Amino acid sequence: MTTTGQTTKPKIVFDWRAEAATHAPGSAFEMAEKVVNKLFRPIPGSSVSEEGKRTHKVTVVGVGNVGMACAQTILTQELCDELALVDVVEEKLKGEMLDLQHAAAFLPRAKILADTDYRVTADSDICIVTAGARQQEGQSRLALVEKNVSLFKKIIPELMKHSPNTILLVISNPVDALTYVAYKLSGLPPNRVIGAGTNLDSSRFRWLLADHLDVNAQNVHGYIVGEHGDSSVPLWSSVSVGGVPIISYLKQKHIDYSPDTLAELHRMVVDGAYEVIKLKGYTSWAIGYSVASLVKSVLRNQRRIHPVSVCSQGFHGIEDEVCLSLPAVIGRAGIVSVLDSPLTDEEKEQLQTSAKTLALIQNKLDM
Amino acid sequence: MATIGQNTKSKFVFNWREEEAKHEPGSAFELTDKVANQLFKSIPGSSISNVPRRTSKVTVVGVGNVGMACAQTILTQDLCDELALVDVVEEKLKGEMLDLQHAAAFLPRSKILADTDYKVTADSDICIVTAGARQREGESRLALVEKNVSLFKKIIPQLVKHSPDTILLIISNPVDALTYVAYKLSGLPPNRVIGSGTNLDSSRFRWLLADHLDVNAQNVHGYIVGEHGDSSVPLWSSVSVGGIPIISYLKQRHIDYNPDTLSELHRIVVDGAYEVIKLKGYTSWAIGYSVASLVKSVLRDQRRIHPVSVCSQGFHGIKDQAYLSLPAEIGRSGIIGVMDSPLTDEEREQLQKSAKTMAEIQKKLDI
Repeated sequence: MTTTGQTTKPKIVFDWRAEAATHAPGSAFEMAEKVVNKLFRPIPGSSVSEEGKRTHKVTVVGVGNVGMACAQTILTQELCDELALVDVVEEKLKGEMLDLQHAAAFLPRAKILADTDYRVTADSDICIVTAGARQQEGQSRLALVEKNVSLFKKIIPELMKHSPNTILLVISNPVDALTYVAYKLSGLPPNRVIGAGTNLDSSRFRWLLADHLDVNAQNVHGYIVGEHGDSSVPLWSSVSVGGVPIISYLKQKHIDYSPDTLAELHRMVVDGAYEVIKLKGYTSWAIGYSVASLVKSVLRNQRRIHPVSVCSQGFHGIEDEVCLSLPAVIGRAGIVSVLDSPLTDEEKEQLQTSAKTLALIQNKLDM
Repeated sequence: MATIGQNTKSKFVFNWREEEAKHEPGSAFELTDKVANQLFKSIPGSSISNVPRRTSKVTVVGVGNVGMACAQTILTQDLCDELALVDVVEEKLKGEMLDLQHAAAFLPRSKILADTDYKVTADSDICIVTAGARQREGESRLALVEKNVSLFKKIIPQLVKHSPDTILLIISNPVDALTYVAYKLSGLPPNRVIGSGTNLDSSRFRWLLADHLDVNAQNVHGYIVGEHGDSSVPLWSSVSVGGIPIISYLKQRHIDYNPDTLSELHRIVVDGAYEVIKLKGYTSWAIGYSVASLVKSVLRDQRRIHPVSVCSQGFHGIKDQAYLSLPAEIGRSGIIGVMDSPLTDEEREQLQKSAKTMAEIQKKLDI
């Protein structure tokens, strides 16, 4: 709330009701108080502290294009009652908070808070971390790691301090390495640290196939797993359309195809993000929807299967403690379980190679 | 759609299915054609040309922050089946289109098209115009007019050419003057040219009051009318909370108040946009929700009352053909009717003054 006539630097008002100055005589707040005390007769026992907490609170760290697309999609889909935004740049942070608040007439009521101080994130059910250097055109995700590790060393402990029971959802790239970093820095059990992983890659995959077949993408199932990036692994045996597994169908009906064609489709998916970055400078909308879909699965205990970055040690012969995407059941407890997907020998090899690459990077990190 | 292996400059594939090059042997499209022909046995008579068109199509002109917030919110709220994006910068346009398409797994199926050529907008139910120079910090909306008039001379005739039955929804600022310009350039009847006007100002107004009273903004009703900008008129007599008209309530309960307090609240609303612009550089989310709310009222024939920019001639003693916001009933045919809101003498005077200012500007325009 702007304070009338003051020349002090704009402050993020964490709780304006507590700020005595705004109740100055003649102020709108003083007047509003007078009105409220008469207009609304409270019922005994109804004060907020009496409410059992069943409302949902989501924190978004980083109010760049990705963070705000996540925040806005979550609000539009009515997934939480309280949304907290955190960043380091005060003006941008306050501007984004106000821009969302101004839509109050068009949205169900949600408390939208913002502060550079992490106390604003207290008691969050989910903390979404989007902060970090953005992937530049042509830059591979792995080149970002070092920069973002030091940032996480500031962010993760703060989030944990204020929301010890939270679920962390890591979006920042390179997401697999940073999910591992978040896991180590947080001290949380592995079910409560999720990386956005290949959830979006799989959506791009499904869109591409659905567009070719001119059918709804929600009837085209298929998972891309492994590293979110260049060495992701398309599980072609998992691809089905209206319940029909495609690869077996092709064989059954003697439709010839070249493995190169399949590899090309996968390449288009991997390039998808780079292409959008090249064209518009960054990606935002698709990742926003992807994240909102994960948030919904957690908060509403949907037990849907998403390919997300999880600790994959022990799966498919992976021996290192690395995070990479596997199809997992997501619910209120976070990662409920990981699917035992049947893999071809080739797919298993690719996953293991991915895991080794990630392990090498992780070993070099200063944690 | 990314074309495989071609080094030609990226082209907008308006209808890729017709492009022969894509069906070359070994291509993914050739493969999927074979699959689709077997997998889906078509039913006679089911080709799309046989079905009366009941799907809805929305065009957004301008893929800047405002245009994309509108497009994304409309998609998230599931308001249309087809969305067309138009702009002059090809790369940005294609990038935004792809970023929305990639979310296919998380959204109901929508056809998302983009082109610099207006043919992509053909048969739109609503055309939303957001293109134009953005309002700069400290710059009044009226200073933008001249610049945006020449732009509209290119845009409006193209839209009407491809969608002669469309409804135009003008967002570009200064919205009142540009709604008039669009009306004149389009040749459409007045019910089919709507300016977003004070729809958002009123939301900010309701948010501000609701925040002071700590109640849901959807139970706080109240209209700001007139110019979308510095000389907007708050209709205090229209403000009610839970059905209780606030000003009469204050009088009835002998709660003293200073008219300056009310002016201050109005000033905070007017400053709201400038404040967000100063903090984050532009506004986007709130206007996106505001526009989606208008689109919903039209496409779903909601007959809701919105304060939007209409031709105010004949209302409240206004003699000029001036465009400014009045509470209007919005449905499938656009503006169904304008409310006969009881105004105080002071409010009527302010509106008439606004109208005269608007008329003077309109006269100076080269249309």
